[in-house]
Amino acid sequence: MNEQLKAILEALIFISQEPLTLNKIKEVLEEVPEDELQAALEALLADYAADSRGIQVIQSAGGYLFTTKPEHDQWIRRLLQIEKKTKLSSAALETLSIIAYHQPITQAEISAIRGVDSTYCLKTLLQKKLIKIVGRKKAPGNPLVYRTSERFLQYFGLNSLEDLPREEEIAKILEEEKQAIS
Amino acid sequence: MEQEIQELPESQVLTPGSPVSNDGYQVRLEIFEGPLDLLLFLIRKKKIDIHDIPIAVITRDYLEYLERKEQINLDREAEFLLIAALLIYIKSQMLLPREQEALQADDPRQILVDRLLEFQKVKVACSLLREKEEDQLLRWKRTFLPPVARPEEAELLEVSLYDLAETFFLLMKKRERENLQVIRGKDVSVEEKMKEMVGYLKSRGSMDFLEYFSSQETLEEALVSFFCLLELVKNHLVVAVQEQLFQTIRVWLRRPRTQPHGHSHE
Repeated sequence: MNEQLKAILEALIFISQEPLTLNKIKEVLEEVPEDELQAALEALLADYAADSRGIQVIQSAGGYLFTTKPEHDQWIRRLLQIEKKTKLSSAALETLSIIAYHQPITQAEISAIRGVDSTYCLKTLLQKKLIKIVGRKKAPGNPLVYRTSERFLQYFGLNSLEDLPREEEIAKILEEEKQAIS
Repeated sequence: MEQEIQELPESQVLTPGSPVSNDGYQVRLEIFEGPLDLLLFLIRKKKIDIHDIPIAVITRDYLEYLERKEQINLDREAEFLLIAALLIYIKSQMLLPREQEALQADDPRQILVDRLLEFQKVKVACSLLREKEEDQLLRWKRTFLPPVARPEEAELLEVSLYDLAETFFLLMKKRERENLQVIRGKDVSVEEKMKEMVGYLKSRGSMDFLEYFSSQETLEEALVSFFCLLELVKNHLVVAVQEQLFQTIRVWLRRPRTQPHGHSHE
């Protein structure tokens, strides 16, 4: 029974375009008790963690997802004939990380932190669907308010916003840098 | 502050307009994401404590970077100038005598320090996120694979006549180079060609226009095929879609809802 459940979960994750959430799994397999589901899921994850596998199951944006392993990148690129995947520009990344830590936030607030106008960056990030407009602020001019999207979490392999590097972590790095300089 | 002024001559022995700074390497303004980025760079380079910035020194260094530019591009450098103005303002505040002792407690530099501290955090967050990005880019997901293009797909942009024209000139240039020797008297009418294209679309479902264009025997025929495409688009008989500029244009037959005038393609 357990083996069968594991196989079903595998199929569900395989066919999902977006990370498959536990809630969704429960919906589909409503007749199965939750602890059984959990056990099967964990068994599946353990199976895929084995070295002999080229595919693994990761948790991303609150769901389960198949990915390849980093060490196989070069073969995949050869197959797909892709030289390199493009990264975000540093301006875009800067804007994105400000949004991630200060959301919900307006364009003017972002620009104030960066000291640079960020309109263009916001456009790029919206196009890439890494951020979304969630409404307008009740302030003069009713500026648009931005938040990061699900795809943002997926893009950086975060399970939720809680997974963002923490303030303390950042403070620690700054402290180390300071020590290195002086 | 006195100290600060005394320090200047020895730390800044730069001749005006010198492209190389005193530690021997040149950094251009363009590489900085913004004025705060440049300020942080200068502060680190001089090993200055961010909570106790010698404003005069930093301002001089900062302005020196701006002066390297022969022309100020207001779109981009206005933000750099703004921070320069802030630096000078802070310096002026510091020079002014204070009436009350108590007031000296609030340092005019505080606004700048707060912004720099915040910005510094952003920079660190950026580098951490960059690591995560790089790691994730090595893990391929099934969703990344380019999906087979279907006309229903919303993300594809329908091309405007302008895009078509641009592609046309691109193709023309290509053909011009290839096809110098071909002079043949074969009349191709737009109508015939159009029928041929519709037939092609019906039998194959879609058309890679770039390929089609290049496969035409003569330049004339290729030209006519392009006119046909324009005509077909204009009459809403086909959908033309280009995923990215300069990429090929894909053409599909439009499902006929209301029959446009004249051209029956049934």
